[in-house]
Amino acid sequence: MNKKNQLADLHHSGEPYIIYKSKRGFDLYTNFSKKIILNSKNIKSFFSTKYKRKSKNTDLFIGFLGYELLNNLVKIKVPRQKNINFPKGIFYKPEKIIKLSNKLNYQNKYNSKHDNFKINIDKNSYVKIFDSFKKKIKRGETYQIKICTKYKTKSKINPLDFFCRLSKTNLAPEAFMIKDKNYSVISCSPENLITKKGFLISTKPIAGTVKKNKNMNKAKALNYFRKNLKETKEHNMIVDMERNDLSRICKVGSVKLSRSKVVEEYKDLFHYVSLIKGKLEKNIKNIDIIKAMMPGGSVIGCPKINTLNLLNNQEKENRNIYTGSFGYIKFNGDMRFNIIIRSILNFKNISEISVASGVVVDSNANHEFSENYIKAKALIDLFK
Amino acid sequence: MIYIIDHKDSFTHNVVHQFSLFDKVECNNYNELDRNKLEKASVIIFSPGPGNPKNYPLTSKIYKSFKGKKKIIGICLGFQQILFCEGAKIVEQKKIYHGFQSNIQVTNSKSLFRKGKKFKVGRYHSLKLKEPFKAKDFEITMRCLESKVAMTFENNKDKIYGFQFHPESFLTYNGNLLIKKILSA
Repeated sequence: MNKKNQLADLHHSGEPYIIYKSKRGFDLYTNFSKKIILNSKNIKSFFSTKYKRKSKNTDLFIGFLGYELLNNLVKIKVPRQKNINFPKGIFYKPEKIIKLSNKLNYQNKYNSKHDNFKINIDKNSYVKIFDSFKKKIKRGETYQIKICTKYKTKSKINPLDFFCRLSKTNLAPEAFMIKDKNYSVISCSPENLITKKGFLISTKPIAGTVKKNKNMNKAKALNYFRKNLKETKEHNMIVDMERNDLSRICKVGSVKLSRSKVVEEYKDLFHYVSLIKGKLEKNIKNIDIIKAMMPGGSVIGCPKINTLNLLNNQEKENRNIYTGSFGYIKFNGDMRFNIIIRSILNFKNISEISVASGVVVDSNANHEFSENYIKAKALIDLFK
Repeated sequence: MIYIIDHKDSFTHNVVHQFSLFDKVECNNYNELDRNKLEKASVIIFSPGPGNPKNYPLTSKIYKSFKGKKKIIGICLGFQQILFCEGAKIVEQKKIYHGFQSNIQVTNSKSLFRKGKKFKVGRYHSLKLKEPFKAKDFEITMRCLESKVAMTFENNKDKIYGFQFHPESFLTYNGNLLIKKILSA
Protein backbone atom coordinates (compact mmCIF):
# COMPACT_ATOMS: atom_id res chain seq x y z
CA MET A 1 0.00 0.00 0.00
CA ASN A 2 1.55 3.36 -0.85
CA LYS A 3 1.62 6.24 1.55
CA LYS A 4 -0.64 8.48 -0.46
CA ASN A 5 -3.45 6.01 -0.19
CA GLN A 6 -2.62 5.32 3.42
CA LEU A 7 -3.43 8.91 4.36
CA ALA A 8 -6.59 9.02 2.25
CA ASP A 9 -7.73 5.64 3.51
CA LEU A 10 -7.10 6.63 7.09
CA HIS A 11 -9.02 9.84 6.57
CA HIS A 12 -12.01 8.08 5.05
CA SER A 13 -11.99 5.37 7.71
CA GLY A 14 -13.09 8.05 10.18
CA GLU A 15 -10.34 7.12 12.66
CA PRO A 16 -8.84 10.08 14.52
CA TYR A 17 -5.33 11.11 13.52
CA ILE A 18 -2.82 13.92 13.87
CA ILE A 19 -0.27 15.29 11.42
CA TYR A 20 2.69 17.33 12.72
CA LYS A 21 5.52 18.90 10.73
CA SER A 22 8.84 17.15 11.19
CA LYS A 23 12.25 18.26 9.98
CA ARG A 24 12.07 16.52 6.64
CA GLY A 25 8.35 16.09 6.10
CA PHE A 26 5.36 15.32 8.29
CA ASP A 27 4.67 12.70 10.95
CA LEU A 28 1.29 11.04 10.98
CA TYR A 29 0.12 9.84 14.42
CA THR A 30 -2.79 7.46 14.70
CA ASN A 31 -4.20 4.29 16.27
CA PHE A 32 -4.86 6.14 19.52
CA SER A 33 -5.06 3.87 22.57
CA LYS A 34 -5.85 6.71 25.00
CA LYS A 35 -7.54 10.08 24.81
CA ILE A 36 -7.23 12.34 27.83
CA ILE A 37 -9.44 15.41 28.09
CA LEU A 38 -7.73 17.95 30.30
CA ASN A 39 -9.13 20.49 32.72
CA SER A 40 -7.56 22.62 35.43
CA LYS A 41 -8.03 19.77 37.94
CA ASN A 42 -6.40 16.85 36.13
CA ILE A 43 -3.66 18.68 34.23
CA LYS A 44 -1.10 18.43 37.01
CA SER A 45 -1.51 14.69 37.40
CA PHE A 46 -1.39 14.31 33.62
CA PHE A 47 2.02 15.94 33.53
CA SER A 48 3.37 14.14 36.59
CA THR A 49 2.26 10.60 35.67
CA LYS A 50 5.26 8.47 34.77
CA TYR A 51 4.89 5.93 31.99
CA LYS A 52 6.92 2.84 31.33
CA ARG A 53 9.34 3.39 28.48
CA LYS A 54 9.32 0.69 25.88
CA SER A 55 11.78 2.69 23.78
CA LYS A 56 9.31 2.85 20.92
CA ASN A 57 8.84 6.00 18.91
CA THR A 58 5.18 5.97 20.04
CA ASP A 59 6.17 6.50 23.70
CA LEU A 60 4.54 9.92 23.82
CA PHE A 61 1.36 11.94 24.25
CA ILE A 62 0.42 14.40 21.54
CA GLY A 63 -2.25 17.07 21.73
CA PHE A 64 -3.03 20.63 22.70
CA LEU A 65 -3.40 22.94 25.70
CA GLY A 66 -6.06 25.63 25.18
CA TYR A 67 -5.68 29.28 26.15
CA GLU A 68 -8.00 29.18 29.17
CA LEU A 69 -6.24 26.15 30.66
CA LEU A 70 -2.87 27.89 30.32
CA ASN A 71 -4.30 30.92 32.12
CA ASN A 72 -5.61 28.75 34.94
CA LEU A 73 -2.17 27.16 35.29
CA VAL A 74 -0.65 30.57 36.06
CA LYS A 75 -3.55 31.31 38.44
CA ILE A 76 -5.39 33.67 36.11
CA LYS A 77 -9.15 33.33 36.00
CA VAL A 78 -10.79 33.98 32.67
CA PRO A 79 -14.11 35.78 33.28
CA ARG A 80 -17.38 34.39 31.96
CA GLN A 81 -17.29 34.61 28.17
CA LYS A 82 -19.28 33.48 25.17
CA ASN A 83 -18.26 29.86 24.98
CA ILE A 84 -18.82 27.00 22.54
CA ASN A 85 -17.77 24.48 25.21
CA PHE A 86 -14.84 23.22 23.25
CA PRO A 87 -12.52 21.04 25.42
CA LYS A 88 -9.77 22.97 27.23
CA GLY A 89 -7.10 20.48 26.27
CA ILE A 90 -6.84 16.99 24.78
CA PHE A 91 -3.93 14.56 24.53
CA TYR A 92 -3.73 11.29 22.62
CA LYS A 93 -1.49 8.25 22.97
CA PRO A 94 -0.63 7.03 19.47
CA GLU A 95 0.28 3.43 18.75
CA LYS A 96 1.40 4.10 15.21
CA ILE A 97 3.54 6.82 13.59
CA ILE A 98 4.00 7.04 9.83
CA LYS A 99 6.56 9.30 8.16
CA LEU A 100 5.24 11.40 5.29
CA SER A 101 7.09 13.59 2.82
CA ASN A 102 6.59 17.35 2.50
CA LYS A 103 4.37 16.77 -0.49
CA LEU A 104 1.01 15.81 0.88
CA ASN A 105 -1.22 14.72 -1.95
CA TYR A 106 -4.87 14.26 -1.45
CA GLN A 107 -7.70 14.53 -3.91
CA ASN A 108 -10.88 15.77 -2.35
CA LYS A 109 -14.04 14.23 -3.69
CA TYR A 110 -16.44 16.30 -1.64
CA ASN A 111 -17.00 19.99 -1.92
CA SER A 112 -16.86 22.01 1.24
CA LYS A 113 -19.89 24.05 2.23
CA HIS A 114 -19.77 27.33 4.07
CA ASP A 115 -21.32 30.77 4.51
CA ASN A 116 -19.49 34.06 4.53
CA PHE A 117 -17.20 34.77 7.45
CA LYS A 118 -18.34 37.24 10.09
CA ILE A 119 -15.97 39.18 12.31
CA ASN A 120 -16.71 39.47 16.03
CA ILE A 121 -15.34 43.01 16.43
CA ASP A 122 -16.13 45.64 13.80
CA LYS A 123 -13.73 48.41 12.95
CA ASN A 124 -15.35 50.98 15.23
CA SER A 125 -15.20 48.80 18.31
CA TYR A 126 -11.69 47.75 17.35
CA VAL A 127 -10.55 51.37 17.28
CA LYS A 128 -12.16 51.94 20.70
CA ILE A 129 -10.37 48.95 22.23
CA PHE A 130 -7.16 50.03 20.53
CA ASP A 131 -7.35 53.55 21.95
CA SER A 132 -8.10 52.36 25.45
CA PHE A 133 -5.10 50.01 25.35
CA LYS A 134 -2.92 52.79 24.02
CA LYS A 135 -3.81 54.86 27.07
CA LYS A 136 -2.85 51.93 29.28
CA ILE A 137 0.51 51.75 27.52
CA LYS A 138 1.09 55.44 28.23
CA ARG A 139 0.27 54.84 31.88
CA GLY A 140 2.72 51.94 31.98
CA GLU A 141 0.10 49.25 32.71
CA THR A 142 1.29 47.24 29.72
CA TYR A 143 4.19 47.70 27.28
CA GLN A 144 2.67 45.79 24.42
CA ILE A 145 -0.70 44.05 23.98
CA LYS A 146 -2.20 41.94 21.20
CA ILE A 147 -5.83 42.50 20.29
CA CYS A 148 -7.53 39.34 19.08
CA THR A 149 -10.32 39.31 16.50
CA LYS A 150 -12.26 36.25 15.46
CA TYR A 151 -13.82 35.29 12.13
CA LYS A 152 -16.55 32.67 12.12
CA THR A 153 -18.80 30.90 9.68
CA LYS A 154 -21.11 27.92 9.42
CA SER A 155 -19.30 25.28 7.47
CA LYS A 156 -18.82 21.68 6.58
CA ILE A 157 -15.28 21.13 5.35
CA ASN A 158 -12.81 18.38 4.67
CA PRO A 159 -9.88 19.23 6.96
CA LEU A 160 -7.37 17.00 5.18
CA ASP A 161 -8.06 18.73 1.90
CA PHE A 162 -7.60 22.10 3.62
CA PHE A 163 -4.39 21.06 5.33
CA CYS A 164 -2.85 19.67 2.14
CA ARG A 165 -3.65 22.82 0.21
CA LEU A 166 -2.36 25.00 3.05
CA SER A 167 0.94 23.12 3.25
CA LYS A 168 1.42 23.60 -0.48
CA THR A 169 1.40 27.39 -0.17
CA ASN A 170 2.88 27.64 3.32
CA LEU A 171 5.15 24.89 4.60
CA ALA A 172 5.30 26.21 8.16
CA PRO A 173 7.80 24.64 10.58
CA GLU A 174 5.20 24.07 13.29
CA ALA A 175 2.23 23.15 11.08
CA PHE A 176 -0.19 20.55 12.39
CA MET A 177 -3.61 19.09 11.92
CA ILE A 178 -5.88 17.20 14.28
CA LYS A 179 -8.81 15.19 12.97
CA ASP A 180 -11.06 13.69 15.60
CA LYS A 181 -14.64 12.48 15.36
CA ASN A 182 -16.27 15.70 16.55
CA TYR A 183 -13.72 18.39 15.69
CA SER A 184 -10.68 19.24 13.61
CA VAL A 185 -7.86 21.79 13.71
CA ILE A 186 -5.75 22.97 10.78
CA SER A 187 -2.77 25.19 11.47
CA CYS A 188 0.26 26.59 9.72
CA SER A 189 1.91 27.84 12.90
CA PRO A 190 5.45 29.09 12.31
CA GLU A 191 6.45 29.44 15.93
CA ASN A 192 8.20 26.97 18.24
CA LEU A 193 7.70 27.76 21.92
CA ILE A 194 9.47 24.86 23.63
CA THR A 195 12.01 22.37 22.42
CA LYS A 196 13.27 20.31 25.33
CA LYS A 197 15.80 17.52 25.00
CA GLY A 198 17.27 16.17 28.20
CA PHE A 199 18.17 19.23 30.26
CA LEU A 200 18.54 21.50 27.22
CA ILE A 201 15.67 23.82 26.36
CA SER A 202 15.16 26.42 23.67
CA THR A 203 12.49 28.81 22.43
CA LYS A 204 12.33 30.59 19.12
CA PRO A 205 10.11 33.67 19.19
CA ILE A 206 8.98 35.39 16.02
CA ALA A 207 8.23 39.08 16.01
CA GLY A 208 8.11 40.57 12.56
CA THR A 209 6.83 39.08 9.32
CA VAL A 210 7.10 40.36 5.79
CA LYS A 211 5.71 38.87 2.60
CA LYS A 212 8.02 37.66 -0.13
CA ASN A 213 7.86 39.24 -3.55
CA LYS A 214 10.12 40.06 -6.46
CA ASN A 215 11.62 43.06 -4.67
CA MET A 216 12.06 41.41 -1.31
CA ASN A 217 14.99 39.06 -0.82
CA LYS A 218 16.54 37.90 2.45
CA ALA A 219 19.04 40.75 2.72
CA LYS A 220 16.36 43.33 1.99
CA ALA A 221 14.06 41.74 4.54
CA LEU A 222 16.76 42.09 7.21
CA ASN A 223 17.25 45.70 6.25
CA TYR A 224 13.49 46.29 6.40
CA PHE A 225 13.25 44.84 9.92
CA ARG A 226 16.31 46.72 11.18
CA LYS A 227 15.03 50.03 9.90
CA ASN A 228 11.52 49.47 11.20
CA LEU A 229 11.63 50.86 14.73
CA LYS A 230 8.26 49.44 15.74
CA GLU A 231 9.19 45.88 14.71
CA THR A 232 12.59 46.23 16.37
CA LYS A 233 11.15 47.41 19.68
CA GLU A 234 8.48 44.68 19.68
CA HIS A 235 11.12 42.10 18.94
CA ASN A 236 13.48 43.36 21.67
CA MET A 237 10.69 43.16 24.20
CA ILE A 238 9.88 39.56 23.27
CA VAL A 239 13.56 38.55 23.51
CA ASP A 240 13.88 39.94 27.04
CA MET A 241 10.55 38.37 28.03
CA GLU A 242 11.55 34.93 26.74
CA ARG A 243 14.94 35.22 28.43
CA ASN A 244 12.98 35.94 31.61
CA ASP A 245 10.65 32.96 31.20
CA LEU A 246 13.59 30.61 30.60
CA SER A 247 15.44 32.11 33.57
CA ARG A 248 12.60 30.94 35.84
CA ILE A 249 13.52 27.31 35.13
CA CYS A 250 17.16 27.41 33.98
CA LYS A 251 20.54 27.46 35.70
CA VAL A 252 22.01 30.87 36.47
CA GLY A 253 24.22 32.01 33.64
CA SER A 254 22.96 29.34 31.22
CA VAL A 255 20.31 31.40 29.40
CA LYS A 256 21.91 32.60 26.19
CA LEU A 257 20.67 34.45 23.17
CA SER A 258 22.05 32.03 20.63
CA ARG A 259 20.71 33.75 17.51
CA SER A 260 19.71 37.38 17.78
CA LYS A 261 17.31 38.98 15.31
CA VAL A 262 17.94 36.96 12.18
CA VAL A 263 15.75 36.54 9.11
CA GLU A 264 14.40 33.11 8.25
CA GLU A 265 13.09 32.45 4.81
CA TYR A 266 9.93 30.43 4.16
CA LYS A 267 7.98 29.66 1.07
CA ASP A 268 6.02 32.95 0.97
CA LEU A 269 7.39 34.97 3.84
CA PHE A 270 10.31 36.16 5.88
CA HIS A 271 10.20 35.99 9.66
CA TYR A 272 12.32 38.00 12.08
CA VAL A 273 13.35 35.45 14.71
CA SER A 274 15.62 34.93 17.69
CA LEU A 275 16.71 31.72 19.34
CA ILE A 276 17.18 31.55 23.10
CA LYS A 277 18.63 28.54 24.87
CA GLY A 278 19.16 27.43 28.44
CA LYS A 279 20.09 24.51 30.68
CA LEU A 280 17.33 23.38 33.03
CA GLU A 281 17.75 23.43 36.81
CA LYS A 282 17.90 19.96 38.32
CA ASN A 283 14.57 19.78 40.12
CA ILE A 284 12.44 21.34 37.36
CA LYS A 285 9.43 19.28 36.22
CA ASN A 286 7.68 19.52 32.89
CA ILE A 287 4.67 21.23 34.47
CA ASP A 288 7.03 23.94 35.78
CA ILE A 289 8.30 24.48 32.24
CA ILE A 290 4.75 24.76 30.89
CA LYS A 291 3.85 27.27 33.61
CA ALA A 292 6.97 29.37 33.02
CA MET A 293 6.67 29.49 29.23
CA MET A 294 2.95 29.41 28.43
CA PRO A 295 0.97 31.10 27.07
CA GLY A 296 3.78 32.13 24.74
CA GLY A 297 4.63 35.78 25.31
CA SER A 298 5.01 36.83 21.69
CA VAL A 299 1.27 36.39 21.05
CA ILE A 300 0.09 37.98 24.31
CA GLY A 301 2.15 41.06 25.05
CA CYS A 302 4.26 42.22 27.95
CA PRO A 303 4.42 42.04 30.96
CA LYS A 304 2.60 38.77 30.66
CA ILE A 305 0.42 38.53 33.78
CA ASN A 306 -0.94 42.08 33.74
CA THR A 307 -1.44 41.97 29.99
CA LEU A 308 -3.33 38.66 30.20
CA ASN A 309 -5.66 40.22 32.77
CA LEU A 310 -6.24 43.26 30.56
CA LEU A 311 -7.01 41.01 27.58
CA ASN A 312 -9.31 38.72 29.49
CA ASN A 313 -11.33 41.60 30.90
CA GLN A 314 -11.83 43.01 27.44
CA GLU A 315 -12.53 39.87 25.39
CA LYS A 316 -16.12 38.72 25.16
CA GLU A 317 -15.47 35.38 23.53
CA ASN A 318 -13.39 32.39 24.59
CA ARG A 319 -10.17 32.00 22.60
CA ASN A 320 -10.42 28.19 22.66
CA ILE A 321 -7.24 26.82 21.07
CA TYR A 322 -5.97 30.19 19.81
CA THR A 323 -2.65 31.20 21.49
CA GLY A 324 -2.64 27.87 23.29
CA SER A 325 0.02 25.29 22.47
CA PHE A 326 0.13 22.09 20.47
CA GLY A 327 2.86 19.50 20.71
CA TYR A 328 4.05 16.33 22.39
CA ILE A 329 5.58 15.03 25.59
CA LYS A 330 7.70 11.93 25.31
CA PHE A 331 7.81 9.35 28.09
CA ASN A 332 11.51 10.21 28.58
CA GLY A 333 10.48 13.80 29.40
CA ASP A 334 11.47 15.46 26.13
CA MET A 335 8.93 17.93 24.75
CA ARG A 336 8.14 19.97 21.69
CA PHE A 337 5.40 22.63 21.74
CA ASN A 338 4.39 25.37 19.36
CA ILE A 339 2.12 28.38 19.70
CA ILE A 340 -1.29 27.85 18.10
CA ILE A 341 -1.75 30.71 15.66
CA ARG A 342 -2.80 30.80 12.00
CA SER A 343 -5.29 28.06 12.68
CA ILE A 344 -8.83 27.01 11.87
CA LEU A 345 -10.91 25.28 14.51
CA ASN A 346 -13.88 23.29 13.16
CA PHE A 347 -16.38 22.32 15.82
CA LYS A 348 -20.16 21.84 15.75
CA ASN A 349 -20.25 22.79 12.04
CA ILE A 350 -18.64 26.15 12.70
CA SER A 351 -15.18 27.19 11.53
CA GLU A 352 -13.38 29.85 13.50
CA ILE A 353 -10.18 31.72 12.73
CA SER A 354 -8.61 34.01 15.31
CA VAL A 355 -5.89 36.53 14.62
CA ALA A 356 -4.13 39.19 16.65
CA SER A 357 -1.74 42.01 16.17
CA GLY A 358 0.12 44.21 18.54
CA VAL A 359 -0.60 47.55 20.05
CA VAL A 360 2.55 49.36 20.98
CA VAL A 361 2.58 53.06 21.48
CA ASP A 362 3.43 53.99 17.91
CA SER A 363 1.11 51.55 16.15
CA ASN A 364 -1.90 52.68 14.21
CA ALA A 365 -5.42 51.27 14.69
CA ASN A 366 -6.36 51.18 11.00
CA HIS A 367 -3.10 49.54 10.07
CA GLU A 368 -3.38 46.85 12.76
CA PHE A 369 -7.03 46.19 11.91
CA SER A 370 -6.20 45.50 8.28
CA GLU A 371 -3.10 43.56 9.39
CA ASN A 372 -5.45 41.26 11.28
CA TYR A 373 -7.58 40.86 8.18
CA ILE A 374 -4.56 39.99 6.03
CA LYS A 375 -3.54 37.31 8.52
CA ALA A 376 -7.05 35.83 8.51
CA LYS A 377 -7.46 36.10 4.75
CA ALA A 378 -4.72 33.55 4.03
CA LEU A 379 -6.87 31.01 5.85
CA ILE A 380 -10.27 32.31 4.71
CA ASP A 381 -9.08 31.93 1.10
CA LEU A 382 -8.88 28.16 1.63
CA PHE A 383 -12.68 28.12 1.75
CA LYS A 384 -12.94 29.31 -1.84
CA MET B 1 21.56 37.36 50.59
CA ILE B 2 19.81 39.60 48.08
CA TYR B 3 16.04 39.81 48.33
CA ILE B 4 14.12 40.77 45.19
CA ILE B 5 10.56 42.04 45.34
CA ASP B 6 8.88 41.02 42.08
CA HIS B 7 6.25 43.52 40.94
CA LYS B 8 4.82 40.83 38.65
CA ASP B 9 7.02 41.76 35.73
CA SER B 10 8.16 39.74 32.73
CA PHE B 11 11.76 40.84 33.26
CA THR B 12 12.25 40.10 36.96
CA HIS B 13 13.87 36.72 36.43
CA ASN B 14 16.50 38.29 34.22
CA VAL B 15 17.26 40.47 37.25
CA VAL B 16 17.36 37.37 39.46
CA HIS B 17 19.89 35.69 37.16
CA GLN B 18 22.01 38.80 36.91
CA PHE B 19 22.26 39.32 40.68
CA SER B 20 22.78 35.58 41.22
CA LEU B 21 26.17 35.99 39.55
CA PHE B 22 27.27 37.87 42.68
CA ASP B 23 25.37 36.48 45.68
CA LYS B 24 22.56 34.18 46.79
CA VAL B 25 19.23 35.60 45.63
CA GLU B 26 15.70 35.08 46.94
CA CYS B 27 12.74 36.43 45.01
CA ASN B 28 9.08 36.66 45.95
CA ASN B 29 6.01 37.97 44.24
CA TYR B 30 4.67 41.31 45.55
CA ASN B 31 1.60 39.45 46.90
CA GLU B 32 3.65 36.80 48.69
CA LEU B 33 6.39 38.76 50.45
CA ASP B 34 8.36 37.08 53.21
CA ARG B 35 9.19 39.19 56.25
CA ASN B 36 11.90 36.77 57.43
CA LYS B 37 13.81 36.89 54.18
CA LEU B 38 13.45 40.64 54.12
CA GLU B 39 15.03 40.91 57.59
CA LYS B 40 17.84 38.53 56.67
CA ALA B 41 18.73 40.17 53.37
CA SER B 42 21.75 42.45 53.07
CA VAL B 43 20.40 44.02 49.86
CA ILE B 44 16.78 44.63 48.84
CA ILE B 45 15.88 45.04 45.17
CA PHE B 46 12.66 46.56 43.83
CA SER B 47 11.98 44.93 40.47
CA PRO B 48 10.59 46.51 37.33
CA GLY B 49 6.84 46.19 36.81
CA PRO B 50 3.69 47.55 35.21
CA GLY B 51 1.80 50.58 36.52
CA ASN B 52 3.18 53.32 38.75
CA PRO B 53 4.50 53.58 42.33
CA LYS B 54 1.05 54.36 43.74
CA ASN B 55 0.02 50.79 42.87
CA TYR B 56 2.58 49.28 45.28
CA PRO B 57 2.08 50.75 48.78
CA LEU B 58 3.74 47.73 50.43
CA THR B 59 6.98 48.41 48.58
CA SER B 60 6.88 52.04 49.75
CA LYS B 61 6.42 50.85 53.33
CA ILE B 62 9.37 48.47 53.01
CA TYR B 63 11.51 51.25 51.59
CA LYS B 64 10.72 53.58 54.45
CA SER B 65 11.42 50.98 57.13
CA PHE B 66 14.74 49.79 55.65
CA LYS B 67 16.14 53.05 54.31
CA GLY B 68 19.63 53.58 55.71
CA LYS B 69 19.65 50.09 57.28
CA LYS B 70 20.17 48.01 54.15
CA LYS B 71 21.39 48.63 50.64
CA ILE B 72 18.35 49.22 48.40
CA ILE B 73 18.38 49.09 44.60
CA GLY B 74 15.45 49.96 42.33
CA ILE B 75 15.10 49.08 38.67
CA CYS B 76 12.68 50.87 36.32
CA LEU B 77 9.46 50.91 38.37
CA GLY B 78 11.71 50.28 41.39
CA PHE B 79 13.71 53.42 40.51
CA GLN B 80 10.48 55.41 40.34
CA GLN B 81 9.20 53.83 43.55
CA ILE B 82 12.19 55.05 45.57
CA LEU B 83 12.04 58.54 44.11
CA PHE B 84 8.28 58.63 44.72
CA CYS B 85 8.93 57.80 48.40
CA GLU B 86 11.40 60.70 48.44
CA GLY B 87 8.69 63.08 47.34
CA ALA B 88 9.21 63.02 43.58
CA LYS B 89 6.45 63.24 41.01
CA ILE B 90 6.40 60.42 38.45
CA VAL B 91 4.80 61.57 35.20
CA GLU B 92 3.97 60.35 31.70
CA GLN B 93 6.47 61.30 29.01
CA LYS B 94 5.70 62.20 25.42
CA LYS B 95 8.00 59.68 23.82
CA ILE B 96 7.67 56.18 25.19
CA TYR B 97 10.61 53.84 25.44
CA HIS B 98 9.52 50.21 25.35
CA GLY B 99 12.24 47.96 23.97
CA PHE B 100 14.40 50.93 23.10
CA GLN B 101 18.18 51.11 23.13
CA SER B 102 19.66 54.47 24.17
CA ASN B 103 23.00 56.06 24.82
CA ILE B 104 23.36 57.48 28.28
CA GLN B 105 26.14 59.35 30.04
CA VAL B 106 27.45 59.93 33.56
CA THR B 107 26.76 63.61 34.20
CA ASN B 108 27.62 63.98 37.87
CA SER B 109 31.04 63.87 39.53
CA LYS B 110 29.53 62.41 42.74
CA SER B 111 28.83 59.17 40.86
CA LEU B 112 30.64 55.87 41.49
CA PHE B 113 31.24 55.95 37.74
CA ARG B 114 33.61 58.27 35.95
CA LYS B 115 31.96 61.50 34.80
CA GLY B 116 31.55 61.56 31.02
CA LYS B 117 31.50 57.78 30.64
CA LYS B 118 28.89 56.54 28.17
CA PHE B 119 26.76 53.38 28.25
CA LYS B 120 24.42 51.70 25.79
CA VAL B 121 21.31 50.57 27.64
CA GLY B 122 17.88 48.97 27.16
CA ARG B 123 14.77 50.89 28.27
CA TYR B 124 11.17 49.93 29.04
CA HIS B 125 9.39 52.93 30.50
CA SER B 126 6.49 55.19 29.72
CA LEU B 127 6.81 57.21 32.94
CA LYS B 128 9.69 59.35 34.13
CA LEU B 129 10.93 61.46 37.01
CA LYS B 130 9.53 64.99 36.93
CA GLU B 131 12.31 67.53 37.34
CA PRO B 132 13.55 69.62 39.02
CA PHE B 133 13.82 67.07 41.82
CA LYS B 134 15.70 67.52 45.06
CA ALA B 135 16.08 65.16 48.00
CA LYS B 136 18.77 65.07 50.66
CA ASP B 137 21.83 62.97 49.64
CA PHE B 138 20.23 61.94 46.32
CA GLU B 139 22.08 62.72 43.09
CA ILE B 140 20.93 62.14 39.53
CA THR B 141 24.09 60.64 38.07
CA MET B 142 23.32 59.50 34.52
CA ARG B 143 21.10 60.92 31.80
CA CYS B 144 19.88 59.97 28.36
CA LEU B 145 22.17 61.71 25.87
CA GLU B 146 19.28 62.66 23.63
CA SER B 147 16.34 63.51 25.93
CA LYS B 148 18.35 64.28 29.13
CA VAL B 149 15.84 62.22 31.13
CA ALA B 150 17.21 60.93 34.46
CA MET B 151 18.58 57.39 34.07
CA THR B 152 20.24 56.67 37.43
CA PHE B 153 20.36 58.12 40.90
CA GLU B 154 22.81 57.39 43.67
CA ASN B 155 22.61 58.01 47.38
CA ASN B 156 26.06 56.92 48.45
CA LYS B 157 25.47 57.87 52.09
CA ASP B 158 22.51 55.53 52.64
CA LYS B 159 23.55 53.13 49.85
CA ILE B 160 20.41 53.56 47.76
CA TYR B 161 20.67 53.21 44.00
CA GLY B 162 18.25 53.31 41.08
CA PHE B 163 18.27 52.51 37.39
CA GLN B 164 15.53 53.83 35.13
CA PHE B 165 16.89 51.56 32.38
CA HIS B 166 17.24 47.79 32.60
CA PRO B 167 20.79 46.60 33.44
CA GLU B 168 19.59 43.01 32.91
CA SER B 169 18.31 43.58 29.36
CA PHE B 170 20.18 42.07 26.40
CA LEU B 171 20.07 45.64 25.04
CA THR B 172 22.34 46.86 27.86
CA TYR B 173 26.05 46.38 27.30
CA ASN B 174 28.20 45.84 30.39
CA GLY B 175 25.14 45.52 32.63
CA ASN B 176 26.96 43.06 34.91
CA LEU B 177 29.73 45.57 35.42
CA LEU B 178 27.28 48.25 36.56
CA ILE B 179 25.68 45.87 39.05
CA LYS B 180 29.03 44.64 40.36
CA LYS B 181 30.16 48.16 41.15
CA ILE B 182 26.91 49.07 42.91
CA LEU B 183 26.93 45.85 44.94
CA SER B 184 30.51 46.41 46.10
CA ALA B 185 29.89 50.07 46.97
